[in-house]
Amino acid sequence: MSATKSNGGREGQPPPSPTFLDQVYEFLSSVTLAIALLAFIAVTSIFGTLIKQQATPAEYLSFYSDSTYAIIRFLGLDDVFHSRWFVAAISLFVLNMIFCSLPRFIKLLRSRALIKVPNQKTLDAMGLRCLVPGKRIEDVAGVFKRYRNAQTNEGSRVLERGSLGRYAVYMVHLSIILILVGGLIGSLFGYRGPLTLAKGEIKDSVTARGNKGEIRPLGFALKLTDFKVSFYPSGEPKDYVSNVDVMENGKSVLQKSIRVNDPLNYKGVNIYQSSYGSNPLFVFDIGGERVELGQGGVYKKEKLHLMAVRYEKSVHNFGPGVLVAYVQENGQPQTSWFLKDVPRLRERSILGTTVRLDDIKEEFYTGLEVSRDPGVWVVWFGFALILFGLCVNFFFYHRRIYLVEVPNKGVLVAGTALKNKEGFKEEFEKLKGRLGCS
Amino acid sequence: MFVSNEILAVVTFLYLFLFFGHLVYFAAKSERVLTFVWVALYITFGLHTAGLIARWVESYRLSVGHAPLSNFYESLIFYGWCISLTVISMKKRLRFPLLTMFACLIALGFMGYASFSSSVDKKIQPLIPALQSNWLHIHVFTCFIAYAAFAVSFLAALFSIFNWKRIMPPEETLEELNYRSVMVGFPMLSAGILTGAVWAHYAWGSYWSWDPKETWSLITWIFYALFLHARFARGWKGRRIALLSVIGFASVIFTYFGVNFILSGLHSYGAA
Repeated sequence: MSATKSNGGREGQPPPSPTFLDQVYEFLSSVTLAIALLAFIAVTSIFGTLIKQQATPAEYLSFYSDSTYAIIRFLGLDDVFHSRWFVAAISLFVLNMIFCSLPRFIKLLRSRALIKVPNQKTLDAMGLRCLVPGKRIEDVAGVFKRYRNAQTNEGSRVLERGSLGRYAVYMVHLSIILILVGGLIGSLFGYRGPLTLAKGEIKDSVTARGNKGEIRPLGFALKLTDFKVSFYPSGEPKDYVSNVDVMENGKSVLQKSIRVNDPLNYKGVNIYQSSYGSNPLFVFDIGGERVELGQGGVYKKEKLHLMAVRYEKSVHNFGPGVLVAYVQENGQPQTSWFLKDVPRLRERSILGTTVRLDDIKEEFYTGLEVSRDPGVWVVWFGFALILFGLCVNFFFYHRRIYLVEVPNKGVLVAGTALKNKEGFKEEFEKLKGRLGCS
Repeated sequence: MFVSNEILAVVTFLYLFLFFGHLVYFAAKSERVLTFVWVALYITFGLHTAGLIARWVESYRLSVGHAPLSNFYESLIFYGWCISLTVISMKKRLRFPLLTMFACLIALGFMGYASFSSSVDKKIQPLIPALQSNWLHIHVFTCFIAYAAFAVSFLAALFSIFNWKRIMPPEETLEELNYRSVMVGFPMLSAGILTGAVWAHYAWGSYWSWDPKETWSLITWIFYALFLHARFARGWKGRRIALLSVIGFASVIFTYFGVNFILSGLHSYGAA
């Protein structure tokens, strides 16, 4: 295909010549490009594990100098796996894989119609060859029970086995594309976000994580009816369970215990148990009335205004305590500590009312992870196909046996395999024994 | 001290003994020594298996019952076991004393590190909620069989690079051994990564989160994919392919140890 440059009528803007397209095609379909891209993806991924990803500028600056951080930012090394050039490399890789595989696959399909018995010279050059004396093809063919008859001619026959093995590579390549497409669907149409719920709380939306950062409605409401954490004697967490009600139009439609490894799936939304936390709950006795206040909780009655401001696990080594703010008689704000374990500091009179800290309880809340990923089934299918393809590639290999009648001598048996030559040699030796040939 | 720990300490010494057994074979060149070494290897493997089962049973007696695949100590022991299993199941093609000797040496290294290093916690620990899943067994099993197969490929590559005359199997055999082990390791590593991804989907809510362990297993996978393409699509041979195999194994080791000790992430169970 020679380019006809003189044909270009308009100056300065020659029409794209076929040579250019050829070059692009050649570039995209080369194994060298595949190897280069894979190496590039692997090496840049290493950077993505050595440099902390998606951290705050302050975190980076505590590790690196200003100029190093500037370089990291410029190259996008603070978020390698979502950077434009990484996505571009993967896209180019997908194109490359298609351009590498598709023509070869088509050629393979076509070649099935073009099976030919090689000429005598090629047959003679085959390493695995033997002559069965004084027999005809029909007598010999019975030995090759596990072979498929690919072609029957006058005086010759082509037998095949393990043809599926030739398609394995294409299955694997297709499944990689499927997995990436599934990932793309997920990142375009899905979202993920954390959802914390205290006991009794109801939520019906989640703030999506990442650059999307928008509020997503779940399509239903979730109410935490109970949350339990259990621990091993060693103090390690054993189990966290969130009992939730799925609510639609104010009515509970489903109840479920969400555990780690046992998420809730409802209307395409998955809800996972991911963490838990606790808030202190202060139990006061205010003038004989029992009052429970969380951190920041306010109590108001007539002139008495007080607020549980801050919790400390240990106040000057006197044990846990809470800082309470209140308004004095003269209107001035005042703060003082209530310490649970020190009797003298547990009780105090404020505006004539006795305020006593009776207990500090822990109130657990659950940390759920919400995700919606419409691409996950494409990914699962890709996983299944890649494993199937790899198994086929492992257990099947293609080999061919040619049977050619040699007049007055017998049948010439010759075999070839492109892969697993050692294994085929062993098989051929066994066949030779059964054929009784030399 | 548990019975399993004692059995596994004995197994460690047996691997040392096997290593010396091979040396005796190379000095004496007697086939009887080699037969004896193989019998000893079977016994060692049997005891190794017994040690793992004993630990499993003991974990039930501590009422935390789980397969011994959950912390760094257990993974080291299991890696040693997988190497033995690989050597034994590849016996037909792997009857090269030099290879079994080095395989025993690697197993000895892992077992010794697990048994005698004070930084490795040998206690049977209860499973934290994230690990309480049946995916644990298939995920760890496939990954470590892959790691073991890659160790064999590494040894074959190492021998062809150093080219020790007389005691070394022929070059073609080494090459075949090299790519055959990768042919086993690659699907196993794929299965390991995929089972891990499915598990992560159910446990963490995302099948892939670019966690250092995930990313490094992918890097390792890419290196071996490169190996297979260089071998089959480009016809690479000899020193070049051996070098790729060495790089691949370095990546395996980093995936296993480096990520635990140097990088931290979601997948930090192995570090304890």
